[in-house]
Amino acid sequence: MTAMRVDAKVVMLGKESVGKTSLVERYVHHRFLVGPYQNTIGAAFVAKPINVGDKVITLGIWDTAGSERYEAMSRIYYRGARAAIVCYDLTDSSSFSRARFWVKELQTFEEHCKIYLCGTKNDLIEADRSARQVDYHDVQDFADEIGAQHFETSSKTGNNVDELFMKIAEDFSNSAFELMQDEKGVDLGQKKDSYLYTCCHH
Amino acid sequence: KPDEMAADVHNKGVTWDTMNGSLAPVDRLRSDRSDSPTPGLVEGTEPGAGQEHAQHMFVHAQSFEDLTADSESNPDSELTGSSNSALVDSEEGETKEEEQRGGADNEEEQKEPEEEKQEVQSGVRLKEEDVTSEAWRRHRKHVFVLSEAGKPIYTRYGTEEALSTTMGVMMALVSFVEAGKNIIRSIHADGCRVVFLHKSPLVLVGVSRSSQSDRELSRELQYVYYQIVSLLTLTQLNHVFQHKQNYDLRRLLAGSEHLTDSLLRLLDRDPGLLLNAVMSLPLASSARDVVSASLQAAKAKSLVFSILLAGNRLVTLVRKKDQYLHHMDLHLLFNLVGSSSSFREGEGWTPICLPKFNTAGFFHAHISYLEPKSDLCLILVSTDREDFFNLSDCKRRFLERLRKRSAYQALQEALRTPTYPVSQVGIPELWHFVYKSKSSGLYTSPELPVPYQREEEHERLIGLYRYLHSCLHHPTRPLRSVYRCGDTENLFAWATSGFELYLCFSPLGTKALAMSAVTKLLKWIRKEEDRLFILNPLTY
Repeated sequence: MTAMRVDAKVVMLGKESVGKTSLVERYVHHRFLVGPYQNTIGAAFVAKPINVGDKVITLGIWDTAGSERYEAMSRIYYRGARAAIVCYDLTDSSSFSRARFWVKELQTFEEHCKIYLCGTKNDLIEADRSARQVDYHDVQDFADEIGAQHFETSSKTGNNVDELFMKIAEDFSNSAFELMQDEKGVDLGQKKDSYLYTCCHH
Repeated sequence: KPDEMAADVHNKGVTWDTMNGSLAPVDRLRSDRSDSPTPGLVEGTEPGAGQEHAQHMFVHAQSFEDLTADSESNPDSELTGSSNSALVDSEEGETKEEEQRGGADNEEEQKEPEEEKQEVQSGVRLKEEDVTSEAWRRHRKHVFVLSEAGKPIYTRYGTEEALSTTMGVMMALVSFVEAGKNIIRSIHADGCRVVFLHKSPLVLVGVSRSSQSDRELSRELQYVYYQIVSLLTLTQLNHVFQHKQNYDLRRLLAGSEHLTDSLLRLLDRDPGLLLNAVMSLPLASSARDVVSASLQAAKAKSLVFSILLAGNRLVTLVRKKDQYLHHMDLHLLFNLVGSSSSFREGEGWTPICLPKFNTAGFFHAHISYLEPKSDLCLILVSTDREDFFNLSDCKRRFLERLRKRSAYQALQEALRTPTYPVSQVGIPELWHFVYKSKSSGLYTSPELPVPYQREEEHERLIGLYRYLHSCLHHPTRPLRSVYRCGDTENLFAWATSGFELYLCFSPLGTKALAMSAVTKLLKWIRKEEDRLFILNPLTY
């Protein structure tokens, strides 16, 4: 065994019982546990390697508790995160206002964290259209406005779950590539400055 | 002779062991450990006591009373009247214990019409009980928690919303009596005991139909209080209510109700919470020593306690030098782990306050199972909330070492027999027992025999032990030993400065037989102590 290597920190945020743990459970263990709701205590961490092209990227997923009790503590879980999956329950409009709260929080404290809005429990909507309380287009508009991605998933059926995490891994992979290019690439402004600097130095 | 001490009454403070002329005082050195224990075993030499006296795992105290003592309010001493003043604002002079007998009829009258009104109120969740029903009233033990503004925080049965007026009445009773510079402790009426515990900013009320004493009930309410503090810290609790007196604390406690529910179940069933002791997993001492040493080696700077559990049994506990864990805190950790499936997946990282250690701040606990389907759960308690990956690495190192030294196999084996039948002792009339070694804070007990495996019978047996326990720990007239014959079982309990022993015999047995059984049992425990107890606890 070797020490854990994590490439990208991913944090799950959202009101309690929207299904953050179920989403992780579906993605990591490919299963959906039926039974009485059990809230998460504090936060749970799981590392999951994922193939992107010819590379393997390890996502370090932090599944946080939705309870208000841990709110003051939440910064330690999302600090330095490269991606945040902000979950809301498609059948519960109040959970979307909570999602807005987390978006604001992230925009204030973690500007480099990409936001993925995720409407959960899509299977309930499929079964009964009238159960929907959060409009798809409203969320899409909000997502465009804040530069976020938008998914609707079902952990019960697995619908869109792998796609969500794949997108996160791809985005991370691309941004890491961009970052590398930034470092090595030619920046005219930068060059000018350094040129000027050398001049003055002489 | 043992028969003579049955039902002997001794005053507190008398050293019982030296009263028995045949027993020489025993020194605490390892070399003096006796092979055939005699009643004179003092603390530190009894079967199950740790090898080196300096290395206890738990907060150490000479007596049960010390262990349960609470700086703010000590229910154990309330009956003596000596520390009553600690319960009111210090300047207030004389305080009196208030017991309202007969006055309870009035309370019943007050309650009923209000409960009827509840029917109009909506918001009763599905599957929740109707608090106006006879079935709700008949529950053996109710527990309510409310704020000083009378706002409901927790109820064991039914919904808090439906009980807001009832809790309002409870607060009114508390305030009314306190306004007269008194403290309401309990109301006895109609086969019910209503016990009050005011621990600002919370008020806890227990209503019991059992034969439990006020003291016992009050102690259980304290446990519930500490359960809440462990989630929030007392500092935060005070802060919240200073800021807003009528704050609805359920917002902050959301999702934790099942922790309190399960704690109350443990209090009904687990003798460890009664005895302030923990049961360890029976394990060959050589294997346990390897496990302890591996945990000891996997240390980190911020680490204070490393605890390995197998279900509700302790495998080992390694602690920072000079830092001791209190039983109550360990039971709260047991309860947290045992009642949450959330640690099954991945690695948990949660703030937790250990209230008997410090009510003001959070520790951060790394909680994970050694394998997804295993019963072995590792809890690493740290002072640093940023130290997750460091502790995760400690776990990895611990596992690596454990596997290398093939102790993992032995541990898995031991998990298959986490308990033993009482027949191993070889006393046919002995049905069940609980033995607590006072100096190690550990106890051992065989599996419940068939007649006691049903839930009600299990709780009845614990109720009997609780009764015996209350006789041994009576605040003013503690008994040294008790023998009681019943229709369904005979009971015997015995306390020395080294151990406490509770036995349950067939009702056909005699007292003489019980006495000889004790000697035989103590010999057996001494013989098995390597396996049943943790004799070599380690520190980092």
